[in-house]
Amino acid sequence: MTARPMQTPTTQEHNSDDQIHLAVSGASCASCVRTIEQAMLSVEGVSSAHMNLADRVATAGGQADPKALAQAVSSAGYSAQVIENPDTAQDDKEQEDKAQYRTLLIKMGVSLGLGVALMVWGMGFGSMMVSPANQITWLALGGLTLVVMIFTGGHFFSGAWKAFLHHNANMDTLIALGTGTAWLYSIVVASIPEALPEMARHVYFEASAMIIGLINLGQALELRAKGKTSEAVKRLLDLRAKTARVIRDGEERDLPVEQVRRDDHIRVRPGEKLPVDGVITEGQTRIDESMLTGEPMPVSKKTGDEVSAGTLNTHGSIIYRATRVGSETALAQIIRLVKKAQGSKPEIGRLADRISSVFVPSVMLIAVVTALIWYNVGPAPEVVHMMVAATTVLIIACPCALGLATPMSVMVGVGKAAEYGALIRQGDALQTAGKLDLVILDKTGTITEGHPGVTHVHASDGDQQRLLSLAAGLEQHSEHPLAEAIVIRAQEENAVPETIEQFEAFNGQGVQGTFNGNTLRLGNRRWLEAEGIDLSGLTDEAETIARQAGTPLFLAEGDRALGVIGVADAIKSDSKAAIRRLHDAGVRVMMVTGDVETTARAIAEKTGIDDFRASVLPEDKARIVEEMRQQGFVVAMVGDGINDAPALAAADVGFAIGTGTDVAIESASITLMRGSLHGVPDAIEISRATIRNIHQNLFGAFIYNTLGIPIAAGVLYPVWGLLMSPILAGAAMSLSSVTVVTNANRLRFFRTFQPKGGTHD
Amino acid sequence: MTSLLVNLGGLILMAAIVVWFWWPGKSAPEADKNGAYQHHH
Repeated sequence: MTARPMQTPTTQEHNSDDQIHLAVSGASCASCVRTIEQAMLSVEGVSSAHMNLADRVATAGGQADPKALAQAVSSAGYSAQVIENPDTAQDDKEQEDKAQYRTLLIKMGVSLGLGVALMVWGMGFGSMMVSPANQITWLALGGLTLVVMIFTGGHFFSGAWKAFLHHNANMDTLIALGTGTAWLYSIVVASIPEALPEMARHVYFEASAMIIGLINLGQALELRAKGKTSEAVKRLLDLRAKTARVIRDGEERDLPVEQVRRDDHIRVRPGEKLPVDGVITEGQTRIDESMLTGEPMPVSKKTGDEVSAGTLNTHGSIIYRATRVGSETALAQIIRLVKKAQGSKPEIGRLADRISSVFVPSVMLIAVVTALIWYNVGPAPEVVHMMVAATTVLIIACPCALGLATPMSVMVGVGKAAEYGALIRQGDALQTAGKLDLVILDKTGTITEGHPGVTHVHASDGDQQRLLSLAAGLEQHSEHPLAEAIVIRAQEENAVPETIEQFEAFNGQGVQGTFNGNTLRLGNRRWLEAEGIDLSGLTDEAETIARQAGTPLFLAEGDRALGVIGVADAIKSDSKAAIRRLHDAGVRVMMVTGDVETTARAIAEKTGIDDFRASVLPEDKARIVEEMRQQGFVVAMVGDGINDAPALAAADVGFAIGTGTDVAIESASITLMRGSLHGVPDAIEISRATIRNIHQNLFGAFIYNTLGIPIAAGVLYPVWGLLMSPILAGAAMSLSSVTVVTNANRLRFFRTFQPKGGTHD
Repeated sequence: MTSLLVNLGGLILMAAIVVWFWWPGKSAPEADKNGAYQHHH
């Protein structure tokens, strides 16, 4: 593996300055998301609003006043704080989460304690029925329950009230209504028992307290599990070095990494992390980039090579010049990209949002209908049954499972992909990548190393030295990888490049210039023949080059063919294995290349590619992608060059391979940090696993609600005489959202079919 | 009499829920922009 600069994912991310981030607390379900986004959109200057329930960060695009935004979200019933520094926000949030976790546990202890005590007292020493003898005691206990409910569940009531004022209803609404109804009924019973039939003088104070306790417990467990889903970002954040050994004015000093400036010289000793991005000015070493690229082997680096922040110097001591510091480093940009993608929502999630936006009011209607049915046709005591069934319906319905299903899985899936060196830009790409059935690969730099070398030199007159001098004279003006190969070969053969005038490059065809008054052309057969040059004498040689997967380049002076040079680009050692994995995943693989058919066929045969298009001009790549899409394929394009950008953008999913150019990376929806093609099947496998996980979550949440609500309403009563207790409903509801979060966490243990870094084939 | 009052109360409550949470134009939730709300009405 040669030393290769690692690419930054994109420079586009710099404009994230136009985004305002808010840390929001109190949001627990999809309805809250909707309310918050709506509140942000109502602020002047906001062009887009997005709330991520998984990490509880709301992001607004456009030019708005951050304070006004926070105010708008607060007045919608949530607490919001502007995130000044997104880099430290993660640490702050962790502290906050810990504090909140403790608070929830205390609240749970208090409310469950009261609930259990009441239950034991009622069952063991007295009765839950109010009689003249215990009326005063029950009134006092009702008062105590109210105090405990306000202390441990006050946030549900205030959240519900604020949502109500905005014509919204959320999980808080259901809990507040459920526990509130139970308490109100009980206090009526305790105050005026004589107004109700004797059988109906039952109190449910313990239910109110226990439901709130159980839901607090559920939220605490959920908070804990949520913390784990952001582990990928935490892992990346931990890569940052805290200090740097900066050489200023000939003196070495350890400075906090924030104080490192561009063009500072930094010394890194073996075993140390690199603090910023830069270029090595002194020394050579091997650097472990696995944390960023997934590439397991340390990479050799020497003077002039680029190095990245967060990677580990394993071998020698080096001095390097800082080129990108702070939020500009590749690592900082990766973190931003991963966070942003984790917060985005694939199409499938928007469906869940739409359902949950009407979910809570629908549940309220079902509760009223249930109450009326029990009142009219239920057995005595009707009032008790009516109240119990309606409360249970309100408590068991769980919009949070619906709301959490998608963002939780996306968060873990995107993080998992990053672990494998695949940076996913959008949640939508995650969903589409799972559906791919055709992958189109660019040849150079994607299937092959992208560092071609000269394999054949054949001069018509036998003077190879002169052929190389002329070819190198032309190609030294060009930046094409093939040109570089020819210039290097000329140097090796001590062939001095001739002086060429009026140099011109023709994209996808060749180069030309003037030598001794004659036009000198070096390029492919099609172009030279179109210029009227007879190449028939070189056909056999060209065929040999092409059959060995090389590219024949013809040199002609005027209309006379001088010879042919074979340039071949070595196939990456793991391309074949990666293509086999794509086949195993049921994906067809196609190659596009500017090479002649014989060369393309040779490469296709060596790597097991199903289909290829040869002699493709760069501008035709996007057209081929479009054509395949029209044939009904879900198409991925994989490429690295500037000329791949339109094709990457045209594909359903564009993969920019990590050794590529910034332009390619910006046009792609997934960036592979590692140069290996294995990143494509990795991303596909992770996407499929994530989407499968989302389906499981949504299905689970849907089944839970469709079964739970009718059972709570009492459909089992006519047959088996079963009516669910509201306390059991509270436990089931907590369990359902904990289950969703836990299932999403399962993705953390997902492994692709290929170990990270891949085995060489 | 009580029965009538309870049933009537229930119906009024349901109507109030529909009006408060669904009445078009009262608030424009995110779903509205996706056409989900129009679909309901």
